[in-house]
Amino acid sequence: MSTTLHWITLAAYVLGSLISLGFLVRQRQGLYRMGLALLWLGFGLHTLALAAAWVEGGVLPATSLRQSLDVFSWALMGAVLVVNLRLEVKILGALAGPICVLLMLAASVLPVVPSVKTAAFKSAWIIVHVISIMAGYGLLALTFLGGVLYLTQDRALRAKKMGPVFRRLPSLGRLDSLNQASLLAGFLLMTIGLISGAVYAQMALGSYWRWDPKEVWALITWLLYAALLHTRLVQGWRGRRGAWFSVAAFAVLVITFLGAGLLMPGYHSFSSMSGFGGLRP
Amino acid sequence: MKLQLIGLSHKTAPLEVRECLAPPPEAVPGELHRLVALPGVREAVMVSTCNRVEVLAATEDQADQAELIGWLCSGRGQAPELIGEHLYRYQGADAVRHLFRVASSLDSMVVGEPQILGQIKEAYRTATDAGTTRTVLNRLLHKTFQVAKRVRSETNIGGAAVSISFAAVELAKKIFDSLEGLSALVVGAGEMAELAVEHLMAQGVSKVQVANRTLERAVELAQGWGGHAISLEDLGAVLGDVDIVIASTGSPQAVITAKMARKALKARRGRPLFFIDIAVPRDVESAVGELDGCYLYDIDDLTSVVEANRAGRAVEAGQAERIVAEEVVKFMTWLAGLDAVPTISALAAKAEEIRTAEVARTLKDLSELSPDEIAALDRLTQALVKKLVHDPIMFIKGASHGKSPDTLRQQLALVRRIFNLEENGGK
Repeated sequence: MSTTLHWITLAAYVLGSLISLGFLVRQRQGLYRMGLALLWLGFGLHTLALAAAWVEGGVLPATSLRQSLDVFSWALMGAVLVVNLRLEVKILGALAGPICVLLMLAASVLPVVPSVKTAAFKSAWIIVHVISIMAGYGLLALTFLGGVLYLTQDRALRAKKMGPVFRRLPSLGRLDSLNQASLLAGFLLMTIGLISGAVYAQMALGSYWRWDPKEVWALITWLLYAALLHTRLVQGWRGRRGAWFSVAAFAVLVITFLGAGLLMPGYHSFSSMSGFGGLRP
Repeated sequence: MKLQLIGLSHKTAPLEVRECLAPPPEAVPGELHRLVALPGVREAVMVSTCNRVEVLAATEDQADQAELIGWLCSGRGQAPELIGEHLYRYQGADAVRHLFRVASSLDSMVVGEPQILGQIKEAYRTATDAGTTRTVLNRLLHKTFQVAKRVRSETNIGGAAVSISFAAVELAKKIFDSLEGLSALVVGAGEMAELAVEHLMAQGVSKVQVANRTLERAVELAQGWGGHAISLEDLGAVLGDVDIVIASTGSPQAVITAKMARKALKARRGRPLFFIDIAVPRDVESAVGELDGCYLYDIDDLTSVVEANRAGRAVEAGQAERIVAEEVVKFMTWLAGLDAVPTISALAAKAEEIRTAEVARTLKDLSELSPDEIAALDRLTQALVKKLVHDPIMFIKGASHGKSPDTLRQQLALVRRIFNLEENGGK
């Protein structure tokens, strides 16, 4: 069931992305609405697919890289669609759509790892931990995209050409709102995710903090985003500096998400997850 | 009589060159007097806006264009050869066409913008006050105004375009998204700056401050917009509070320096600042445009806005070009008709000269004629001559109606050759 839904979701995302790209080129409002509707449809199906996987597997479907990428693409699409409700950054469909398609394709070709049905993965704390972290990642990825768009539009404005890029990209003011909103929400969710993870670790492993590589990288990421938020709100780093900062912070986030999960040993790594029984002394 | 036009515009010369050629407004009458003092130059008008410097002159047929160029370049610290590559030079019908096109806003940065006509009217007024226009340019300029009016009413070229104002709004929207509640600062006063402010206000800009060299003018302008006036010294402090700055002073140096902008940015805590510098020479240091959070557009940068609009107006412009072409022919016919006047008077004068000479010679031989008889002889010869030259004169007059200027010129030349009028013709 979840596999079928996965492929239908992918189809909707592909179609939605193509139409959104068509809107990017032709700038027809009809294409924008159609693309957006398809992406919403895809997101709904995606949510159902993940729910089905959860039911089928018995645990939150985020125990392997395959599943994590799937959830991350869901989080990114959700962040884009929800933020777009308020701010309407029309170019985002053409940008985030293909990224989500690639993430889902990557997830599709990765090996299926049987999920672990231990009680340790069924605690409410770990559910909150994983969902908050993933939703936070999705929002912070949106901040990254917003930063890239900001830098591009800033460059277009300074080039003084008023060419196709200038006309298609949203205003700096709107991108600034996008960046601020997604950064605030993303940082909040990441904070909740880290706290709930620590609480869970105390319950399951007997200590809040174990200097696992993923934990260390997550802390570095969190501190960087805290600094980004601080410089933005207090120092007023909203222009190019802030945008570059958010791009750099996202690079560290990717290390935390992929690097610490794949390359570094520890109980957060995907390879150890399948064998993780929890509650070890 | 020959019409000559030399000049340079945003299409042919960069801002740096236009800056150094444009005389300050108060110097224009003096420049015009200097120009009509040149040999062969009879009438002159000078149009100087931030986008173009043009000199239109009615000269003797043999007047040299190099002299005009030398005059335009003299005293401006630029060698004529350097400026020469940016200059366009038109004569006769081409000069008339160029003037009509400029006035109809077909040559403007934003095609269809209405300000240029006002600027040409102003230039004409300056020239008439200076006394450097007469029959030809008076007629030409009035015709120009009519043509511009005709283009405006018969085509839709004016559409939505309002040049600088249009560009300013477009750019401000890409920076601030919505202009609702923003505040603007106007430095210096000028028609273009005023228009820009009005457009920004129409889009939601709610607060306007005005800084000007003379405070009275600043207060006057500020009152019109419900804003308030500040002195130029307070500029630095105000930059921290405003979002859009429109600079258009006549100051030879920059009024807004990078140092001022940097200080303002600190106070703004990341809110961007948008500078529109429509002054020539420029009012805002170019380094300001490189600061994070500062966006600076000078008059040349605004050209690009046009490109987006131009396509839609191409059709209207084509129609306008047809009107211009038609009016050029009409005017050139009139101008050529003007050339017929000296030929007619020369013919009449020559005939009268022959008659009086012949009558005098005859009277010498016929000494016993009574005064009545002498008067009769005079009447007879007068009638003879009059009847003889009547047809050629009617031919010349007839030629100046509805014939092309070239045909008319040829016919006039023929008449002059037949009656051997060469030497008197040019006078």
